[in-house]
Amino acid sequence: MSFPPAVSRNFWGMELDSPIMLASGTAGFGEELLDLQCLSGVGAVVTKAVSFKPRAGNPPPRLLETKYGLLNSIGLANPGVYHVLKHILPVAAGLPCPFLINVAGESVSEFADVVSVLEDSSAHIGYEINVSCPNVAEGGAAFGVDPEVVLRVSEGVSRVTDRPFSVKLTPNGGDMVLSAKAAVEGGASAVTVCNTFLGMHIDWKTGKSVIKRKVAGYTSPALLPLVVARVWQVANAVSVPVISSGGVSTGEDVLQLLAAGASMVQVGTRLMRRPFAAAELMDEMKKLAGE
Amino acid sequence: MSVVQDLDCLVTHIEQVLPGVVRIVFDCPGISSVAAPGQFVQIESSSDVFPVTRRPITINLLTDSGFELLFDVIGRGTELLARMQPGDTARVLGPLGNGWMINPASNCLLIGGGLGAAGFQFLIDSVHSAEVLIGASGQERVIPFGACHVVTEDGSVGEKGLVTSLLSEEFFAEADVIAVCGPVAMMEAVWSIIPEKHQGKVQISTESRMGCGWGVCDGCSIPMLQGGYRKCCTEGPVFHGTEIDWKRWKEAGL
Repeated sequence: MSFPPAVSRNFWGMELDSPIMLASGTAGFGEELLDLQCLSGVGAVVTKAVSFKPRAGNPPPRLLETKYGLLNSIGLANPGVYHVLKHILPVAAGLPCPFLINVAGESVSEFADVVSVLEDSSAHIGYEINVSCPNVAEGGAAFGVDPEVVLRVSEGVSRVTDRPFSVKLTPNGGDMVLSAKAAVEGGASAVTVCNTFLGMHIDWKTGKSVIKRKVAGYTSPALLPLVVARVWQVANAVSVPVISSGGVSTGEDVLQLLAAGASMVQVGTRLMRRPFAAAELMDEMKKLAGE
Repeated sequence: MSVVQDLDCLVTHIEQVLPGVVRIVFDCPGISSVAAPGQFVQIESSSDVFPVTRRPITINLLTDSGFELLFDVIGRGTELLARMQPGDTARVLGPLGNGWMINPASNCLLIGGGLGAAGFQFLIDSVHSAEVLIGASGQERVIPFGACHVVTEDGSVGEKGLVTSLLSEEFFAEADVIAVCGPVAMMEAVWSIIPEKHQGKVQISTESRMGCGWGVCDGCSIPMLQGGYRKCCTEGPVFHGTEIDWKRWKEAGL
């Protein structure tokens, strides 16, 4: 790699002008992006998670902003794979950039089941497999913490699709490098590093968590060094592209993640605050390149 | 295509109107020229990375070339907003959400609880007639409107009591639209008093902790009677009273 890193990217055989991906759960299924026309500077989009059956999601409150970040407990709310296939992918097909479908499951087989159904659409270029959700069928620990389980999930998805897929790893337990290697061994074409960090906010006056599910997913600009370290570790251990996810709020952050070895850089919480974040980050990077 | 824009807006006026309640006026024809009563904006309280989300605030009224907001100072984000000065700019996304379901001929009954009434002026200015009933804890929580009926829990303004004491069949019968905004417990108390034959007229302006405000994050869910949730930001914030699952909404403890 040369430094500073180039902004244009070759990813999964595609020549992309931008390294920026909109992270799952912060970009909907594309309809709002099209409505707001905020796709300038976007290299690719990752949809909200899709599960086999519809999921209503968690009871409110689902969000809590803490002093230095945001806790979320959305609960993978989505209308289920058949509704997504019939009614949502035709809209997402209008996106001017490639998109990946994020897939969630409660058992090893559910990931492949969801992907099998989605194979009927040609709108998407590939998948992102969310192994941060709890393996309800086998005790409730996140799939991603056990490399052997990650291998089985990855192999299962490989069997039902020829499209590329990334496995989105969890930072909450396990060895991410081992899980990344297992994902690649199972056939993954990329790994996403990483998902939200387990977090909690307790009201000290009552001893209670504001979020009903007690613990939640934490995101923050302050997570950047944690993500840089993990991207760097994983990128040095696997041969497939690494997609970073987390910690980005400036163009300089994107460049740092690319320098750490990321092929693509996801933007999430920043996008929620700044719908035009991708264009703004690209402008910042162009200015930095000119200096 | 949406009319929503993300613009740097100039603060032209800011003042404390009640203890801990701030009135701020922005010059922003791009947003005010397309805004409807009941819609809200998402404001960045700082150009710094923290707070990481914006603050959603309902448009209280339109000015000649902008809009006015009234908000409670309750946390870091609103504290920062309250410190703004005329001449400062803030990034504003809007107008967002669906406003009140009204037409210019509507006769509205507005029922507000405390700062829930921040937003009523735009509605009053947009309909044929408006009867306004306000309940608040005390005089320091009563937003000044022209003609309105006010009760307070401590009796410092109007009769001592809750807003529900002002409700009557006469008000319900004369209204085409019953618009309610306030704390969830207050709105539920109002809802439970309104006779079934008038419930179809009731519109509820909901509030939620909000992430994006433009529909992508699914963080601002309101429980629906038919099951599941709808987004406060893009599917609300105004819903029919008959759509809401009041029991689950109260359990959320917002």
